[in-house]
Amino acid sequence: MRTTNLICILSFFYLFIASIAGAQTTISGKVVDEKGEGVPGANISIKDSYDGTSSTADGSFAFKTDEHGSKVLESTFIGYKKFQQSIELTGKSVVLTVTLKEEINQLDAVTISAGSFTAGDEKRRTILKAVDIATTAGATADIAGALNTLPGTTKVGESGRLFVRGGDSNETRTFIDGMVVLDAYGPSAPNTPSRGRFLPFMFKGTSFSTGGYSAEYGQALSSALVLNSKDKAEANQTDIGILSVGADVAHTQVWDRSSISGKVQYTNIRPYFGLMDQRVDWIDPPVSFQASSAYRVQVGKEGLLKVFGNFNHSTFALYNHDIDQPSLTQRMDLTNIYGYGNIAYLQPLNEKWSVRGGLAYSHNENAAMFDFRPATEIEKGLHSKLVLEHTVSDKVELRFGGEILGRNYSASRRDEESLLILSQSFNETISASFVEVEAFASKQFVAKAGARLEHNSLLNKIALDPRLSLAWRPGKQGQFSIAYGTFRQSAKNQYLRVNNDLNNERAEHFILNYQIINNNRTFRAETYYKRYYDLVKFANLDATSLNNLGSGYAKGVEVFWRDNKSIRNVDYWVSYSLLDTKRDYLNFPSMATPSFASKHNFSIVYKHFVKVIKSQLGFTYSYASGRPYYNPNNPAFNSDHTPEYHDLSANVAFLPKNWLIIYASCTNLLGRDNIFGYNYSATPDSNGVYARNALRQPAAHLLFLGVFITLTKNKSVNQLPNL
Amino acid sequence: MKRAILILTFATATMVTSANDSKYFETMARNIQQVYTAQTSDEIQQAVNILDRVGSAEKTRWEPYYYASFGYIMLANREKDSAKKDAYLDQAQIEIDKALTINPNESEIVALQGFIHMIRLSVDPASRGQKYSPLAMQFLGKAAAINPENPRALAMMAQMQLGTARFFNSPVTEACATNSRAIEKFSSYKPENPLAPVWGKGMTEDMLKQCK
Repeated sequence: MRTTNLICILSFFYLFIASIAGAQTTISGKVVDEKGEGVPGANISIKDSYDGTSSTADGSFAFKTDEHGSKVLESTFIGYKKFQQSIELTGKSVVLTVTLKEEINQLDAVTISAGSFTAGDEKRRTILKAVDIATTAGATADIAGALNTLPGTTKVGESGRLFVRGGDSNETRTFIDGMVVLDAYGPSAPNTPSRGRFLPFMFKGTSFSTGGYSAEYGQALSSALVLNSKDKAEANQTDIGILSVGADVAHTQVWDRSSISGKVQYTNIRPYFGLMDQRVDWIDPPVSFQASSAYRVQVGKEGLLKVFGNFNHSTFALYNHDIDQPSLTQRMDLTNIYGYGNIAYLQPLNEKWSVRGGLAYSHNENAAMFDFRPATEIEKGLHSKLVLEHTVSDKVELRFGGEILGRNYSASRRDEESLLILSQSFNETISASFVEVEAFASKQFVAKAGARLEHNSLLNKIALDPRLSLAWRPGKQGQFSIAYGTFRQSAKNQYLRVNNDLNNERAEHFILNYQIINNNRTFRAETYYKRYYDLVKFANLDATSLNNLGSGYAKGVEVFWRDNKSIRNVDYWVSYSLLDTKRDYLNFPSMATPSFASKHNFSIVYKHFVKVIKSQLGFTYSYASGRPYYNPNNPAFNSDHTPEYHDLSANVAFLPKNWLIIYASCTNLLGRDNIFGYNYSATPDSNGVYARNALRQPAAHLLFLGVFITLTKNKSVNQLPNL
Repeated sequence: MKRAILILTFATATMVTSANDSKYFETMARNIQQVYTAQTSDEIQQAVNILDRVGSAEKTRWEPYYYASFGYIMLANREKDSAKKDAYLDQAQIEIDKALTINPNESEIVALQGFIHMIRLSVDPASRGQKYSPLAMQFLGKAAAINPENPRALAMMAQMQLGTARFFNSPVTEACATNSRAIEKFSSYKPENPLAPVWGKGMTEDMLKQCK
């Protein structure tokens, strides 16, 4: 009886408990975004419980929960920040509005596109992919060669370097993982395009800026080429390349937290030149040995240390012929020794702060002999840098840092008469600091403002360069950007060594850009105005008396279109640049267009994967209108123009097996005899006319053949992305 | 009397746990089914939302996050826009990371990580191949090494091999051999519990037709 009683009481107690526990609370309301519009499909829940629901098509929701007491209501949805709110569950209905805030750093936020082309960074809507750089016909896997098909560049066929918006090639500065690279191009014979020292497959991302770039980058008047090297490799592999001009072998070894890769390359152009007639009177055609190595190691949970080294040794010898008497020759021997080392470190400190830094060393030595009279040039540079990045909120990013770039340059030659060694040199230390804030007002509007403070030891002067850019997306796709900035750069080594007190040359950029990327099609139009100040000028046409009284301008309009959607398996892009530039510098008697600038540049790049023959075909057509040249027979300075430049190049990559690629490329299929300019005799002949030699391509075509073999455990990898 | 209290206490305890357990199994089974059979992206998103809630309540179970991740992969597969595909795959990655924290050596979770890399690759094979192809194979290989009986690891490996063969127009013999092994494993596969993954068989059957 007592037991039964107890059971009764207990059962009652039970029911009571159950009824309390079961005192359900109904929670209802609406999930909206910041504009008050309903968000469908959002997850609404009581934290750490099963209870919750998804919002309906208009954002409204309602659910019951058995939980009681103080709890946290959560709501999440893709593209929005997590919503959390304390809530008291008492059985009484709760009605509330959940306002989700946009997560700004999403893929679809507006980006600053003025002046800048980014490649790589696979998740962003980029204009070029890293692989595009390597597969552009006519570029023969050279970074500058591929970028020369983009608007803003001027085709200077005999140089192979990047000439950006009326700027000389030295006005483009290369950075690897944020660190300065001095002398980024390999040596080349006269009128032969030089190649970049760094191969495109090393990099996962490339940002090519034709103006208005970040305050982080200094000592570049016209353009910054920012290369980001790959992270840790994922698989062991060995690559062997047999080329028409040499051979290379590379190996990558991967461990759990680190990877190392190395590559050696030997090129000897002699056998090729034996087959292909060359206009250059070679004694010893170029021979080069190159080795590079990259080591990656993860430090702690998120830190990454990257070490990169590159060494290059190359030689050649040739005869230069006198313009008036071609039988008179001068022998030129050149040996170039180049070393570059770079250590870059990235370490997130916590969710809000991260630090990155690096150290880079460049060594470039040109030992030339003119008829066995030596002339040497050595440049050494050490760059160190430290940058802190702070996420103030999801809408505001702050970056600041400091760097020191020390350069030591010397040039020496033996004087013919006195036999004395004459040398000129300088030591320059640039200490700089920068700060930059990037702030999103919404997904539609972003502003980036920065400033760079530089101290130059040769001048003992401090200078400030402001930078500002804005981007605005009025609709769903298209966006406008503007950029402004001032930029400075030390005078070219050959002038600074003569006069150590030369001021920095300066430039000011104004850029307006429109860009729309939609469904694998990109359209981009940009206009700009650039002013040059303090350019190096010869006083009274005397090359040994230099001042900074030069000036100039460049303005233009550029259009870019890319489409890899409309035609199946076809990808093409078209660029057009209109350039109007004049400057009064060096020996110019007045404002004139420099000889590296052409008014119209046009290129079209076409790539087609043909499955039946397992091949990728590529064509590149480039056009440049005539370039001005100095004709001493014409009293008007730089008023003659060379013929137009045309080039049609093709390449084919044949993939018979997934570990084998056979590659062939050929430039100038039309066989056009492009003329880049003229060399004039120093003295007029008996009729008072200055004789001249045309600067031509060294050969009608540049043919390249290669066989690339990839050895891996997993056969699904090949060198295609490298080509 | 004491016994009665004891019985009652025990009964209470088992009632609560079994109620929780049955609630867990019932909720999971219903929503896993919904992910498998959903006709619209909204239905998948709803199921994923519930699975994610279950995951946050059941702190020691990996299955809720596993299926939430799987649901996001299915959402990515339905999406045409590549930026949105990537956004779904980012969510799939967040969910699989939670599952991996709970049980880093579960073959099914490791295989699903391989699947995420595989779908990432498929968004843009030409430029992502070099990175994601070895990553996908690495995780699928690891999943098969942990549990050689996992048919899904083999089935996805076969898909990777088929994709590579297609790209290079080379023979599909290797891919088909892997697929046959996957089919064998599917026929001998016995789910450990009612919530164990059962998907992937259709993939092998489709491929079998192409291998013939």
